[in-house]
Amino acid sequence: MSGRLAIFVVSLVLGLSFGLAAFAQVAPANAARPNGQALPVYLDLKRLINCKPPPICVVTRLGGHPVYFCDHQVVEALPVAQPCFSFARPESNIREIDLEGLKKILQRDPKDTRPLLINFWATWCDGCREEFPDLVKIDNDYRDKINFVSITLDEITEIKTTVPAFLKAMKAQMPVVLLNVKDPEPAIHAVDATWDGALPATYLYDKDGKVVFKYFGAIKPAELRNAIDKQVGSKP
Amino acid sequence: MKKHYALTLFLASIVIVAFAAVAGSGSTSDLPAPPAIGTTLDDFKLPDADGAEHSLKSLTGKNGAVIIFIATKCPVSNAYNDRMEKLAQDYKAKGINVIGINSNNTEPAAEVKSHAGEKHLTFTILKDDGNKIADRLGATRTPEAYVIDAGGKLVYHGRIDNAQNTANITSNDLRDALDELVSGKQVSKTGGAAFGCTIKRVS
Repeated sequence: MSGRLAIFVVSLVLGLSFGLAAFAQVAPANAARPNGQALPVYLDLKRLINCKPPPICVVTRLGGHPVYFCDHQVVEALPVAQPCFSFARPESNIREIDLEGLKKILQRDPKDTRPLLINFWATWCDGCREEFPDLVKIDNDYRDKINFVSITLDEITEIKTTVPAFLKAMKAQMPVVLLNVKDPEPAIHAVDATWDGALPATYLYDKDGKVVFKYFGAIKPAELRNAIDKQVGSKP
Repeated sequence: MKKHYALTLFLASIVIVAFAAVAGSGSTSDLPAPPAIGTTLDDFKLPDADGAEHSLKSLTGKNGAVIIFIATKCPVSNAYNDRMEKLAQDYKAKGINVIGINSNNTEPAAEVKSHAGEKHLTFTILKDDGNKIADRLGATRTPEAYVIDAGGKLVYHGRIDNAQNTANITSNDLRDALDELVSGKQVSKTGGAAFGCTIKRVS
């Protein structure tokens, strides 16, 4: 009996190891990656097995430099001592837009009388990551009353990697587009002449397209909820 | 009695109108407006990461100065480290000094010092505790540049260039402004917007 148990335990361990090996691809934490190459999402296996919320470390790239953030903290490099595993990346359904696409969003459909909430963000922006869980909650609570478009300013190379990985980790369901422009200035001015591009930036437009709330920096959720409630005439 | 009633009604209506005005405008970020181009900036004093005080006047070169609000943790600001250092080197010989200011309340002086060492930033970096100078200049993001001439007059306020990735630069706004300033011309493009990290102010 004990022999069978031992075989079972050994099989279980081997099976788990092979299963994980097939699912995960070992990648050195500090490996240099050429520009434009898809970047993996890193998970701490030890904490994953312990079934704690997975602390996802996302690697993004800015001006050719890798930027890492783990548990909402930007770190200079991934800890080398920790095993890092590359998981299969989720399929991206994030649409790329240009300046004209942005203007189309801002012009709105005249038949659509719902207020419009727009949030400008990027995975490299700590204030954006800080406020994102609140925006996800707001989206969940007001989905049937307002339109919400989330506009990321990440680089286009991140559209199928870092951005969807971050959204998946946040359990975000709002529509997300990636604004890809060579020069950000016309896009920034198309949104607001008084905005200089500081992220995050959040705008709420009423049914007529008038800005009724704007905030630069991580939102205070109660303030945004109050502004939305005023437009929709009730609390969620 | 009637007089009291009318006065109360009048005061109440003022309160209601004031409340409606505030509520109607929605909650907006209460950011100070930056000085207009052409304004002469008042001199100020700030300590560097070692605690030594410097005035804007003492740091201004014979042709002017560039104040850049920078950060240790903002990836956009960090993407510009090499460009800012090169800028400081290139324009020092032309009489324009680069001055970094860190106004983030999340980044203490010791961190500013170690960051400058690691990233080989040799220009003077001042620590703006309580974001007083960021408030005075209406600075909102990192990196954000202000150019003053030798007399302290603001001639440019905005971005360094149009792209975080050096491969995509098509508009060198800050360098163009400095070249015009050095050659005694009027700065033709006095600003430019770009995406950056919000300055972490004291709450």
